[in-house]
Amino acid sequence: MFKHLFKLIWNKKKQNFLFLTEILVSFLVIFAVFSFLTFYFQNYSKPLGFEYKKVWAITYDNRMLTKNTDSASTFYENLHKSLKSMPKIEEVSYSSSNFPYSNSNMSTVVKQGDKKFDYVNNYDVGADYNKVWNISLLEGRWFLPEDKIGKNKKIIINETLKTLIFGKEKAVGKLVGDHENKEKMQVIGVVQDVKANGDFWPAGSAMFVQPDTAQIKYTSTILIKVSADADATFESELYKFMANTMKGSVEIKHLEEMRDSKNEVTIIPMVIFITIASFLIINVALGLFGVLWYNINKRKGEIGLRRAIGASANAVSYQLVMESMILATMSLIVGCFFAVQFPLLSVFNIPASVYIIAILLSILFIYLLVFACSLYPGKQAARIHPAIALHEE
Amino acid sequence: MLKNYFKIAIAVLKRRKFFTFISLFGISFTLTILMVATAFIDKLLSPDYPDYKRDRSLYVATMEYKNTKQGWLNRSDASYYFFDHYVSTLKSIDKMAISSYATASNAYVNNKKLVIEYKYTNADFWNVLEYKFLEGKPFGKQEINNAEQVAVISEETKKAYFGDEKSVVGKYISADNISYRVIGVVANVSKTLYNLKGDMYIPLSLDKGNRPGNPELMGSYNAILLAKSKADVPKVLKEYNQMMKKVPIPKDFDKVYSNADPFFESMTRRIAGEGSTDGKGIVITMITGFTLLFLLLPTINLVNINITRILERSSEIGVRKAFGASSKTLVYQFIVENLILTLLGGIIGVFFSLLAIYLINSANLISNMRLTLNFTVLFYSFILCVFFGLISGVYPAWRMSKLNIVKALKAQ
Repeated sequence: MFKHLFKLIWNKKKQNFLFLTEILVSFLVIFAVFSFLTFYFQNYSKPLGFEYKKVWAITYDNRMLTKNTDSASTFYENLHKSLKSMPKIEEVSYSSSNFPYSNSNMSTVVKQGDKKFDYVNNYDVGADYNKVWNISLLEGRWFLPEDKIGKNKKIIINETLKTLIFGKEKAVGKLVGDHENKEKMQVIGVVQDVKANGDFWPAGSAMFVQPDTAQIKYTSTILIKVSADADATFESELYKFMANTMKGSVEIKHLEEMRDSKNEVTIIPMVIFITIASFLIINVALGLFGVLWYNINKRKGEIGLRRAIGASANAVSYQLVMESMILATMSLIVGCFFAVQFPLLSVFNIPASVYIIAILLSILFIYLLVFACSLYPGKQAARIHPAIALHEE
Repeated sequence: MLKNYFKIAIAVLKRRKFFTFISLFGISFTLTILMVATAFIDKLLSPDYPDYKRDRSLYVATMEYKNTKQGWLNRSDASYYFFDHYVSTLKSIDKMAISSYATASNAYVNNKKLVIEYKYTNADFWNVLEYKFLEGKPFGKQEINNAEQVAVISEETKKAYFGDEKSVVGKYISADNISYRVIGVVANVSKTLYNLKGDMYIPLSLDKGNRPGNPELMGSYNAILLAKSKADVPKVLKEYNQMMKKVPIPKDFDKVYSNADPFFESMTRRIAGEGSTDGKGIVITMITGFTLLFLLLPTINLVNINITRILERSSEIGVRKAFGASSKTLVYQFIVENLILTLLGGIIGVFFSLLAIYLINSANLISNMRLTLNFTVLFYSFILCVFFGLISGVYPAWRMSKLNIVKALKAQ
């Protein structure tokens, strides 16, 4: 049966070539769409790892403040105290400018023996950073004031980095090397992954450190967690206080809004991409439908003959649908050859599972598309009456 | 002859309405997307409010230090000191507009928060750029020298801060807890002009970060250098590059780059370039590549449909060949027919684009950006139409001309 169908297809190889290319290109487009969707969905279904509601970020220009290390420390200590004592502020923490949803990145390299771990997000954090975000610890503990002194720098790492470096072993108490592998850093805790780049992106590996006293004067961000009843009136009072203290530009941003705009950066291009891709697919579907329909009309004689010697209507439409499916399969084999390169070469450092799921979904989609487009022409063919068809010849 | 082809093309289109629908749907949708993309690129590149003098302007936006041995790179906006101390010495420039990148600040009006992005500018900023003043006037040299707390605000800010008040000149607006006296209101600027858009413009002498005599080259400023005439631009460029050679190279680095670019290069350098290359080639290649890739599927589809339709007309082709029409004539005829089809699709595409552009504009997808289908866009769209018609017509036409006469006539 299949051998026979192959022969039929081979006889019209020139005509089928374009059909094959069209399905191949459609497959690649669909594969791209499904790769994105699978990647985003996989990330979306992971827990967020922190609470952004009622967190405000105060960013300010620090150029007008003192550059003297000692007086800067005193200044920031006092500021922390005054903020904390405000009625509607629950938690206060200093932060480097790359806090979650901030569009700012700082990464470093961690070395362990001969192994090198790139793109580790480096967060400089204040003492109560975990309380502001409500980040939960999986292992060990958060920073204590005495961690600033001592031989090895103390760091806290996230789950992804821990798995990368230590696998399933415990990480607390172990030492890792910094980017030059000169100084050692001691892991004192492991926290849950924090999806800092929005709901659709992976957390990546991250490391939290406490800035030393000399770095404090470069601070330009304060994160605060406010109580549920903090409103615009309170915000404007807080703003006035900050603007007077900083003597420079100050901005208060709500993390809820920052999260929305961060997610929009992913969603809007994706919506445009999906719209264009679906129009392309509608276009292709109509084209396939038209071509199949036309081809079947041209084969009236052949079909009439089959019907005359006893083939049932179902057998005829089955043959035509199967022919299209075989054509689709041929394209898909070629398409899969290209698509499989992505997980094999782990292009863009995306987990292989994303690509494999995308390939399977695309194959299913193309089969459904071809099936849907050939079903009606097939049914049409089955309705051909042998007497009329043969009479035409 | 062309009239005949046109008649035949219309007759063929009328024959199989379903195929005509498929072809036109594919063509018009493809061209719609390309037209909207062209309108967007046109919006970015052609002179736009308030930056009308692009043909004699050069844009200085970045300062880059490089250590070629270690591979270190430090890139930032330039400082006011750099423009004031070095660039202002150039003799060939007519005027220079200096402005800082927008800094965000908050204002609280009637229990509502307002984000005000303000820019520090010099006096010539208002002469180089043609901002449209709805009321009041810009600040001049005198206000800058006296460091007066005055501000020019955008129409949007006026509405958000003052509500429906008719005239706001002389009123006070507060940002960073400092009150500024409003002296002018300007029409809104599209967000695509990232170096010119702001909610409030204030004299740069108020920028406390500019400490006099601090020879730092990196800062938060950018400038537009206006040449005296279009012909003078190369002269300015030459003098600017001469001047860059005299700029001292900072410690730990061995190269310092800052470029004065014409508008297009200033965009491509931002997207794909760096201090030593302007990235023009990369950007053009990328755009062409994406367009071709996008055209691939609609083209194959159209070729497929076209071939099907030709086979339908085999008897006509057979008769014409039998009476001595050469392959060349037939190829020519078919390509013309296909062009007519694509142009028809293009006309439908224009209507779809108008709809799409209306939707994009009314959704305010990019703040204050107003896309239009002007003659430039229509001209490029026409070229795209012809290009699409040619690439989707050539192969079917070639197949048609190869049709065997005997077979073609026998088919009926």
